[in-house]
Amino acid sequence: MTPTKLDVRGEICPYPMMRTVSALKKLPGDESALEVVTDHAPALETIPTQAARLGFRTDIEEAGVSEWRITITRTQVEEEA
Amino acid sequence: MTKNSTLALIAWATAAGVYVAAHAVDAQFAMFWVFGLAFGFVLQRARFCFASAFRDIFLMGHARNMKGVLVGLAVGAVGFGVVMSRQVPLTSLGIYPPSANVLPLGIHTALGGLLFGVGMVLAGGCVSGSIYRMGEGYVASWVAFAGVMGGLLLSAHTWNWWWEAHISATPRIWLPHLIGHPGALVATLLGLAAVYVWVVSIEHRAGVVVPVASGAPIQPESFGEDLRSVARRFFEQAWPIIPAGAALGGLNVLLFMAQEPWGFTGEVSRWSIAAASIVNAAPGPLVGGESLPGCVLVPSDGNFLNHMLFLVLGMFFGSFAAAVGAGEFKLRIPRRPVRYGQSLGGGVIMGYGSGIGMGCTIGAFFSAIPSLAVNGWVFGGFLAIGAWIGTLIIQRIQ
Repeated sequence: MTPTKLDVRGEICPYPMMRTVSALKKLPGDESALEVVTDHAPALETIPTQAARLGFRTDIEEAGVSEWRITITRTQVEEEA
Repeated sequence: MTKNSTLALIAWATAAGVYVAAHAVDAQFAMFWVFGLAFGFVLQRARFCFASAFRDIFLMGHARNMKGVLVGLAVGAVGFGVVMSRQVPLTSLGIYPPSANVLPLGIHTALGGLLFGVGMVLAGGCVSGSIYRMGEGYVASWVAFAGVMGGLLLSAHTWNWWWEAHISATPRIWLPHLIGHPGALVATLLGLAAVYVWVVSIEHRAGVVVPVASGAPIQPESFGEDLRSVARRFFEQAWPIIPAGAALGGLNVLLFMAQEPWGFTGEVSRWSIAAASIVNAAPGPLVGGESLPGCVLVPSDGNFLNHMLFLVLGMFFGSFAAAVGAGEFKLRIPRRPVRYGQSLGGGVIMGYGSGIGMGCTIGAFFSAIPSLAVNGWVFGGFLAIGAWIGTLIIQRIQ
């Protein structure tokens, strides 16, 4: 399944992090990953931190000149059926 | 050689060319150019942001930048303390160190800090942050800077009212006058340590912090490879915040020893007033300012070249060269129209706050607490309150 995508390129600080957090909070329970594209370097620290606090793990890869793709994957599977 | 390093070499060669040309006019211009380059380089490499230092404590319980700021303040306080104890050996005489940022302390300090704190969070960066992000290609930071110039001009139009109604009657409180040099330094360091403990406790309550991945460890194959890995850490990877804060504090001490503490809103106000005078919108003579240190508003004197111009342009260019070298330069154009409005509005609010507060997060805070001046603590406290209000506002402007 292709993950939900969020493009926050061009955004000013701290919206890359804030919009990622609100997307994670809205992520449907049956979806396990969110893919964020950002060109804001400080978000490479704030997004992994906030994602970890919400129970996600992050992988960062370079995706161009000063652009990064952050793949955020759910680590805690919700127990309720 | 990568494309980045070629472009970076061109940028640094240009910086060297400006140095030679500035030196031919006035050696002081060249020195301030180098200081500006160094400040801009460190700010960009460490992504050192005073706005997020305050904001992220409230927004996400994250204290990376504030820890760097506190370390920079401590280094600055020790250096400034030593220099000032030589400038004013006898504190009982009531003399002030000539160029330290001991500023009048009153309602304008509190209101200036409060407005500045709100504005910097709205605009996504303070004045130093906007200057270094202008060098990285953030279009919104150019808009914020234009707002700062407008806000400084507004404050210049109201300066004489502020001076006569309030500022002229307020005291300049320098801690060494009250508790001597050693006492003032110890009290300042204890205060900074207490704030450090407080922000660590906030971070602890907020949960985990994931640091920036520093890349896989490299097994060096040769001396050359070792050297390249040092250069990569210096020019390409993000600097850790603590050494960066210490470097900024140390640069500030050197600049203070050379002439005056780090700060630039006075200089930016000079550009703003000069621009306004073209359309006959400049304020008349500003009272009281000549007797004050720091980033007090500077009326235009018709002579555009001065040392502070080179400091500000150096910060911009140092950040640009650093960003190019790290492959982090890119034009970033916000797609949501509201961002231009909040950058401009935040800039105006910041500019007005720094006009009446006689400085920004640098002059009225990062250079004022090391000056062992009470105004730095008051401005900083209200910066925090302003940043908290700003955090509430930006969460409503998604």
